Amino acid sequence: MNPSRTRTLLTIAAAWILVLSTVLSACAPKATPVPVAPTEPAISVPVLLPTTTLAPVVPVAPAAPKYNEAPILADMVKAGTLPPVEERLPKKPVVVPVTESIGQYGGVWRRGFLGPSDYNGYVRIVADALVRFSPDGTKVEPKYVESVTPSADFKTWTIKMLEGAKWSDGSPFTADDIMFWYKDVLLNKDLTASIPAWMKNADGSTVLVSKVDDYTVTWTYAAANTTFLLELANKDNGDKAYPVFLPAAYMKQFHATYADKAKLDQMVTDAKFKTWAELFASKKNQAENPARPGMAAWIPITAVSSQVLILKRNPYYVGVDEAGNQLPYIDEIDMIFYADAASLNLAAIAGTFDEQERQINLMNYPVFKANEQKGGYKVITWPAYGGADADISFNQTYVKDADLGKLMQTKDFRVAMSYAINRSKIQETAFLGLGEPRQPVPSPMSLYYPGDEVAKKYTEYSMDKANQLLDGIGLDKKNADGIRLYPNSNKPVNIEISVVNAFGPWPDVAQEVAADWKAVGINALVQVRERSLHFQMRASNDLQTEIWNQDTAGFPFTGAPKMDPRTTLASGITVWPLYNTWYNTGGKQGQEPSDVAKQIVSLVNQAKSAAPDQQIAIAKQLFGIWVDNCFEIGTIGLTPMDQGVVIVSNKMHNVPTTLAKDWPLRTPGNARTEQFYMTP
Amino acid sequence: MLKIILQRLLILPVLLLVFSVVVFWLVQAPPGDFLTSYVATLSSSGSSIDDAQVAALRQQYGLDQPVYLQYLHWMEGLFKGDLGLSLEYQLPNVELIGERLVLTIILALFSFFLTWAIAIPAGIYSATHQNSLLDYAFTVLNYFGVAVPNFMLALVLMWIAYDRLGLNVTGLFSPKFMNSSWSMARVGDMLQHIWLPVIILGIGGTARLTRIMRANLIDELNKPYVVAARAKGLSEWRLILKYPVRLALNPLVSTIGWYLPQLFSGSLIVATVMSLPNIGPLLLRALIQQDMYLAGVILLIYCGLTVVGTLISDILLAWLDPRIRMESA
Repeated sequence: MNPSRTRTLLTIAAAWILVLSTVLSACAPKATPVPVAPTEPAISVPVLLPTTTLAPVVPVAPAAPKYNEAPILADMVKAGTLPPVEERLPKKPVVVPVTESIGQYGGVWRRGFLGPSDYNGYVRIVADALVRFSPDGTKVEPKYVESVTPSADFKTWTIKMLEGAKWSDGSPFTADDIMFWYKDVLLNKDLTASIPAWMKNADGSTVLVSKVDDYTVTWTYAAANTTFLLELANKDNGDKAYPVFLPAAYMKQFHATYADKAKLDQMVTDAKFKTWAELFASKKNQAENPARPGMAAWIPITAVSSQVLILKRNPYYVGVDEAGNQLPYIDEIDMIFYADAASLNLAAIAGTFDEQERQINLMNYPVFKANEQKGGYKVITWPAYGGADADISFNQTYVKDADLGKLMQTKDFRVAMSYAINRSKIQETAFLGLGEPRQPVPSPMSLYYPGDEVAKKYTEYSMDKANQLLDGIGLDKKNADGIRLYPNSNKPVNIEISVVNAFGPWPDVAQEVAADWKAVGINALVQVRERSLHFQMRASNDLQTEIWNQDTAGFPFTGAPKMDPRTTLASGITVWPLYNTWYNTGGKQGQEPSDVAKQIVSLVNQAKSAAPDQQIAIAKQLFGIWVDNCFEIGTIGLTPMDQGVVIVSNKMHNVPTTLAKDWPLRTPGNARTEQFYMTP
Repeated sequence: MLKIILQRLLILPVLLLVFSVVVFWLVQAPPGDFLTSYVATLSSSGSSIDDAQVAALRQQYGLDQPVYLQYLHWMEGLFKGDLGLSLEYQLPNVELIGERLVLTIILALFSFFLTWAIAIPAGIYSATHQNSLLDYAFTVLNYFGVAVPNFMLALVLMWIAYDRLGLNVTGLFSPKFMNSSWSMARVGDMLQHIWLPVIILGIGGTARLTRIMRANLIDELNKPYVVAARAKGLSEWRLILKYPVRLALNPLVSTIGWYLPQLFSGSLIVATVMSLPNIGPLLLRALIQQDMYLAGVILLIYCGLTVVGTLISDILLAWLDPRIRMESA
């Protein structure tokens, strides 16, 4: 490799832009030092890091010429019911690094789940996408493909698939399976009502996906796209959305273009559906239709509506460990149905699960700790990847009360409200002393972390500063109860905090915040609402302030970033509902966004095609603006509140003790679950 | 007699039709619809679904239509024997309700028999040995049984079972039998698990029935016909069982009407905390997720049970008590 050429390329390559390759390639680009994250082993990691060259990968002879397989599969091979492991694996299997040690085969990993609405519990375990995030969340690594490479201008992305890779039924996994998704799902009006944003160019046209050969597919964008890998890592079955690859040969029997009409109609009627599209959408979900072949390390053999959702090892899984053992190590995952989270927690205390973090209640943390020995498990914590676990957002487009609406638009008011909150008390009373007081920005683990100064801005507890600011904006008169009065109308300042009793100790936080605000003369009323009602009020612009959490802060340019006014309200927070309407209706309804809102939108747009190092700079700028404006006040963040209290039985190994945790990372999928192993 | 039964059976469809309107209205009453709840659930994990997708789903599920049209579609299906599709499970409701209904009935029957098997002898004993030590003991136990909500009892017993015996007593089956089809081994496994839920579900009812039995019998025991029978030299046990007990049973039998549906719906919270795979948790989830067709069908089944329960208790009463037979004839 020519060093000067490497340097030229380096200027456009950085974070998030990762060439993906198998282990064979990892030793190729020696010219650049590869920083290795602490949890990663020293040997061949199939990811290229931000500073890595984008040069093509030189194939090297496999490290392990002979592959091993699980005893139960070896028996099947002996019995002649399964082809030998060499034939099942692709020519160049994906090497998956282990957390601590090479494992041993066997075991049943017991978990709990709450039924069909907990579908994502299954999704996060298998992380069923072409690529996935690394344990620290800063890289993307290949899962079912050999590599994903951008062109120099980031307009074309080439996916090189694994030659010889197979679906769980033994049929080949090729470019046709991606093209089937593109042509027959994405471009089919019955199945895709509207093309998702990541598959649209700026002019609204659909991104072009084309097959180069049986193992190569390209995505061609009209403009540079530097968020492609982030998007691709989330194109699994999450929320039962369509992944970008489907077993074409199997799925065609449910597709109107290919299936026999009479037969298809009969299937639709039998399943009580109205249209073939509903049938197709349901049949593509493996956990609803175990007959559908898959690529993941484990394949469901029962449905998500059963009492136990059983996942069995996929004999054709494309991953091996460094010693050439085909993964996964664990034979089976049993996800046992619990009708409610409390009984699941009780079962967890009793040591019923081998590894469980989902639905584990943070408030039970002390009980889990106390029962560690008796239950035969350890409790570890994975703090949030960013944001705050309870934050208060101020509605910038509130119109029902003109005085209050104007007040909430006043920056000094919002800053004063932030100073007025005694965060360490909230930390102790509501969060068991876990986490830290902070604003809703990514965790220091993330490349986008804007620094302590931003993360801690306005978080000190100072009633003096709060009072000064409030006096300064004309709220210097108080009534007999000590509540400040609006300067014009002499009405007391009443403000409502709407809160939902879900996900975290939010009602407790709300009470603390209300008491703190009252102490500086703002009469805060806590309204605990049922979730659907809260959501409806959010959509109808009836919320004044609300408590929610700011997760996904580490992903401001993809998915549903909470700062972006275009993010649908149901996934966002109440900052500017009417701006959201404005963007949704192309400016016909709602309110024209403020300059700051417009700036945020333009920064997000810019970042989507900016070179990676610029992307980082933009992210930091964005968080600087966000925190400075205090539209959303963070209280406590980086706690293990949501799926971060992890119960690991003493029989379970290779579970990382530090891990970036967030929905886009599909935690614990990014812990590389297939290399977890169990000892008797 | 036959006439009454026929009359009752004829009025059943009319009642169910009225119930269906009420049920549908109730299920629709909370703000939002299935998609609002669905989107809210998604957002809890940071994931999202865009507005266009929500709109498409709303149209697909027919949630964009006016309520009366949704109701008519639902009724149309019901008349054709089609219980509809669960929005959340994406499975026909029949499939979901099927086995759970069987388990619900098994559980209900077990606790029904346990209740009667304990309550009647205990009630008779308490009444005949009024103010004895054992009567006081029963009374204390009864007040306890009536006062403690059964889900609370369930939680406490589950904790004790875990803490003292190291048992995890959730569910009705061991994991290996959870998904398998019915077999002798599976029945055996169920019998090993069913006793705790049966006791918990039965305790409240037992306490109540014992009190009623005791009070009724005490009323009867002082009546002249008892004294007369005793004077004629009838043996004490024969006397009590043949006359006053039969009369004292009347009010108990008339409770069957509401006891049947109560065993179904009353087990809702217990079944939820104990993760019993019966119909209760399914209904609770359906209501929370606003999976309206599933919730509607289950509630309609409950209504049907109440009607049938009342009918059964009427028939039993008539059979048990000649006076009622005479009146209606």
